[in-house]
Amino acid sequence: MATPQVLIERLNRGVQKRNARWALLRDVAFGDALRLRRFRLGNGLTVLTLVDRSAPTVSYHSWFRVGSRHERPGKTGLAHLFEHLMFNATRNHPTGDFDRLMEGAGAEANAATWTDWTYYYENAPRDALPLLIELEADRMANLVLRVPQVSSEKEVVANERKQRVDDDVEGKALELLYENAFVRHPYRWPTIGSMDDIRGFTVKDCREFYRTHYAPSNATIIIAGDFSELKALSLVQKHYGGLSGARRIEERRVFKEPPQRAERVFQLPAPTPTEKILLGYRAPSFLDRDTPALVLANEVLFGGQSSRLHRLFCLDEELALSVRGSISPFVDPGLFEMWILLREGKKKAVALALLDRELARLGSEGPTPIELEKAMSQLELSFLHSMETAGGKAEQIGFYETVVNDGAAVFERLEAYRDVSTRDVKRAVAKYLRPSRRTRIEILRRAS
Amino acid sequence: MSVLVESSGVLPLVDVEIAFAAGSLQDPAGREGLALLTGHLMRRGPAGLSQQRFEDRLASLGARVSVQVSMRSTRIRATVLRRNFEPLLGLLSDLVWRPALRASDFAKLKRQAQAALISRLDDDQTLAALCFREALFGEHPYARAQGGTVNSLARISLQQVESFYARNIEKGAFLVGVAGDVIDSEARALVSSHFPSTKRQKGKDSAVPATRTRPGRHVIIVDKPERTQTQLYIGTLGARTRDRKLFPLIVSNTAFGGTFSGPLMQEVRAVRGWSYSAYSRLLHAKQREAWYMSTAPAAEYSADCAALQLDLLEHWIDRGIKKSQLSFAQRWLINSHCFDRDTPSKRLESRLDVELLGIPRNYVEKHDELVAGVSLQEANEATRARISTRDLTIVVVATANQVASAFEQLPGVKSLEIVPFDRG
Repeated sequence: MATPQVLIERLNRGVQKRNARWALLRDVAFGDALRLRRFRLGNGLTVLTLVDRSAPTVSYHSWFRVGSRHERPGKTGLAHLFEHLMFNATRNHPTGDFDRLMEGAGAEANAATWTDWTYYYENAPRDALPLLIELEADRMANLVLRVPQVSSEKEVVANERKQRVDDDVEGKALELLYENAFVRHPYRWPTIGSMDDIRGFTVKDCREFYRTHYAPSNATIIIAGDFSELKALSLVQKHYGGLSGARRIEERRVFKEPPQRAERVFQLPAPTPTEKILLGYRAPSFLDRDTPALVLANEVLFGGQSSRLHRLFCLDEELALSVRGSISPFVDPGLFEMWILLREGKKKAVALALLDRELARLGSEGPTPIELEKAMSQLELSFLHSMETAGGKAEQIGFYETVVNDGAAVFERLEAYRDVSTRDVKRAVAKYLRPSRRTRIEILRRAS
Repeated sequence: MSVLVESSGVLPLVDVEIAFAAGSLQDPAGREGLALLTGHLMRRGPAGLSQQRFEDRLASLGARVSVQVSMRSTRIRATVLRRNFEPLLGLLSDLVWRPALRASDFAKLKRQAQAALISRLDDDQTLAALCFREALFGEHPYARAQGGTVNSLARISLQQVESFYARNIEKGAFLVGVAGDVIDSEARALVSSHFPSTKRQKGKDSAVPATRTRPGRHVIIVDKPERTQTQLYIGTLGARTRDRKLFPLIVSNTAFGGTFSGPLMQEVRAVRGWSYSAYSRLLHAKQREAWYMSTAPAAEYSADCAALQLDLLEHWIDRGIKKSQLSFAQRWLINSHCFDRDTPSKRLESRLDVELLGIPRNYVEKHDELVAGVSLQEANEATRARISTRDLTIVVVATANQVASAFEQLPGVKSLEIVPFDRG
């Protein structure tokens, strides 16, 4: 593999247009065999490459710094609708061409949207890379937005909402939780959008959104897998180098969420066979120095069958079918979510008292050294699993690049976890996992 | 010694799989769920180690263990950090040769499995899939849910679990697979030392009667309150694993509903926006398995969507696919095949399928040639020969009073039945 400096020199030779000239930003090792390199084109497009020849596949990710937080009331769900629209016609390819060409090449293409980002990806046989680069560059700049496409996708998204939220008891509960856990922050509205907003989008809304957020300077490309760095960067230069980076990208707005001083409780009757409790504790941002300690706490409490709460709720007391916890990986402070899926006839109050007791115990005593060791081993295992395929590597790197502003930070995360002490966990649990900081949704059984 | 190894030094991870040729088809009638309970009770740990200590050991090693039961196999799957591969093998060997099978664990496990069945009623898609199989296969063993029912689980005793274990596992009729960061010779040596009497034994190939189609089109509405959306399955019998028309049918089905670009997805989603997903799927087993289309349309146009799908199905059978559709499907199947083997654990899995499920070796080794060799005539003949437009099972999870009359009016419907979603 050529050194990055030699690579850049060759790629920039004879290139006059500023937008199409490469710069190397970073070159870091991942293990003994792999390297992550970060480049930038003159128009602001950031590209990260990770060559890994363990399988004849390649993964191509396009991450945009736009998610539901960039919407406004009355227009919720636009970032997600847009994700759908991006699979439609461009000035160079009619409707249906994108999927036909991708599938014909054996590529799987899909996308995802959440609060802080949207990304598009293809996992493909290695020979398909030139096609992926051409089609992704094309839809970044040449998307056609007209009434038929927008109407049809609005109907698809309305159906998706019914499936994931309206008819799904957990989806509905999550929507209620975020709506009430936040007062000002856009995290309070659902990424999929409200049904009224979905129905109300116009072509003008979509065009404006595209103009504002879809530009090289708001995007990061990640290429992972079996490919030639020189050829790939040269193709990126060819297809993206002519794009202007001059579109106006919104500065990140700051939303100051007022502190929560008392528990908020809501009830959700639903046609469900068993009752459930969903809790959301106000938690720090993914970037916060307390987050690794909370991640460790989550492992101690919920990580697998040896965890404290699984053992207590599911095995010893047989109160719940399952318990689980997670911390929202958001740019701004989010929630530490906890689910308790009660068994038939079991009391919510008993479960809640038990949970409070255990959280208080963890907050006052902290985890044992053995618990910390188990948690660390499990996090290491999860990390390695997430890096098994080219697609997994690209996704992790894309997430860290977009949320933490450094794709290579993914390789440092385990070290951050290793630095967490019993005292850190104790302090973080005592600080964040207090009843007064939480919103509680009780899902009640409504007889059919 | 039956040990399969797939080496790869990319990440310091090792997967281990212990696979038995015994699954839910071995469950006695009325005691459905026996294979699953046996696998999960074994999973609770070996003799001499409490469940708690066993779980602590696994977690400390950076290991996870799960049990999957299918119709014809039970698989104990483990994954571990490379440095702890050998200690994990020791634990797994104890688990297989000396499972505790404790009465106290068994009682708790049974209650947990029953609670899981009740909780599953929340998931409309799973409900639709299970009801579809029940309706399609009727009394045939393929209709059985691997997890059993609340009542069938209640009838299973610890003695029956012990005897299932003794019959199907204790004698060493299993395969061990290792994939990941370990070289072949090391993996074999370690497995031999922990599983010394593992012999290559074919699992008992229990006789499975032929599956039969119920004549006519039959609608089953799984009635659930407050549904704004429906889960719709339309299908019939498909193919056997050793059917000479299997590959032509795989190609034809891929052209019809196996990709986003196929006519099923295009007509249902891209043109009308009626469902977030719309795919057709062809399964195969020793006897004819299911072929089905699944969509999730809103309640107000669910019957219209079903009618459209029936039209598309008839069109597919009567007129067949075109040459361009055939070559598109072949390209997709061949080009995307690399994703069936891009990790060592996937490569191991397909080798285990060959050994355990009687899948012909050339299906894996000559996949691309078999796909490329399908002609247009073969694809269309296979579709006409295997997929019926007359004998169809239509299952819809919906609020019955919103959709029943419209479904009754679908062309050719012979019967319509409404069943409550929580009937047990």
